[in-house]
Amino acid sequence: MSAFGDYVRQKRLTLQESDPAFSLRKVAAAIEVEPSYLSKIERGEQPPPGEHTIIALAKALGEDPDILLALAGKVSEELLAIIRKRPLLFAQLIRELKNTPDHAVLRLVREVRDGKW
Amino acid sequence: MIELKHDSLAFLFPDVHPSAAVSVNFQRTLRIPDDDKTYPLPPGLGAFPLRHVDDFADGVPAHWLEHGGVMMPMYQSEAMWLHFSGSYDPERGVQYPMAIKVATGKIDAVTGKTWSNGLHRHPQDYMVTPGQPWLDGYCVEKGVIRQFVAMPLGEGYSAEEQITGKAEHGGLQIIVYPMKREVFERRFPKRPPLLRAMRIAESADFLCCAPPSAKSEMGLAPGGRMKQDIFQDPFDFSDWDLTQSSRCFVHIANSLTWTSITKQAPPLMPPSAADYTRYGLPWFDWYDDSLQAVDGSSVLGKLKRVLGIAKEKRQSPLPENESCDPTKVVNLQPKRVGDKVREGAF
Repeated sequence: MSAFGDYVRQKRLTLQESDPAFSLRKVAAAIEVEPSYLSKIERGEQPPPGEHTIIALAKALGEDPDILLALAGKVSEELLAIIRKRPLLFAQLIRELKNTPDHAVLRLVREVRDGKW
Repeated sequence: MIELKHDSLAFLFPDVHPSAAVSVNFQRTLRIPDDDKTYPLPPGLGAFPLRHVDDFADGVPAHWLEHGGVMMPMYQSEAMWLHFSGSYDPERGVQYPMAIKVATGKIDAVTGKTWSNGLHRHPQDYMVTPGQPWLDGYCVEKGVIRQFVAMPLGEGYSAEEQITGKAEHGGLQIIVYPMKREVFERRFPKRPPLLRAMRIAESADFLCCAPPSAKSEMGLAPGGRMKQDIFQDPFDFSDWDLTQSSRCFVHIANSLTWTSITKQAPPLMPPSAADYTRYGLPWFDWYDDSLQAVDGSSVLGKLKRVLGIAKEKRQSPLPENESCDPTKVVNLQPKRVGDKVREGAF
């Protein structure tokens, strides 16, 4: 088992209990992979798929893509591009916020800057 | 502090009071005909997009970065109004009072005087929310404004250029002062739970509803006449906390350059006032008999209209200036249910 595969399987099975559209076969079709491949991912016999497929899987399961990407040990290209643009600044920011409680992180806001008039 | 939230400026004073906040956005609207008729209030067609100037440092003039603040797009001869929306305090059943001063090109829109920080009572150079839900233009007479119309800075149309002879600042400047906390709590005591619940239900529908060239920078100029009161401050001048303020410079970019600066499309041009009226769509009137209007500014009253300057210059900057006769006018007024709870037979 892998954390990613286990999470996806549990999520899918929970959804399948109330909606047959979440069968292994139908979800695999929705994200354009073979059912056997999805089954192996869920059982941890295959490593997590690429970013494109993870995002499609998140969409199919109504899950946040960032959560599935994190479980797969990946960071989205979009976030990487943001960090690459100002690597020192964002590295420092993330380290400083490492142990900050959630509510305090959510209170981080950007103020409109007032300059010289 | 000021935050940019969903194309609105949120002026927040958490150190004064948790409810001390007011939101300001800039509404797209019809340009009313510049024909010396006095028109009712035109509709809001959605907020102009607002962006931090710092996010587009490579595309905006250097002095915009010096000023800081935000920017928005407007087409030449497009009109705009400001919408003020206060923060509702459910325990007291009121919005937290704020004093708001608005200038265009650093010319006060109420008095016509040049910009200064602080508030002045004689003549009053600010507006008070709640009570003043919007501002559509320059206060030229008691009960009459001339609509804010965007024109290229440097061509002599803007109020700033007409008054100072310089095209230096452009855009809009806003400063907000909150009411003192102790005054707010004294004037608006907490109410019994029943009254609170009723007022909350009523409050839900309170609202009716390469660096570019210098020509890309817009200023605001006086357009057509509109019926709108700028209300006198109903509070004592000492009620305002002049030690607390937040101010913002709002730059205006010509919509034709917006995409090259931001890589985003500007909003479409609004319909003409004549077309809007022909389709039978509503205009508005705001009536509040509990407040008195300030006198108009003689300085602003003497400003030349866009059309007048254009004729002198033999230009025609106002396409679609056809007169119209709004027949469908919706009367709006503030709700006061929370203040008037009738006690019937028990």
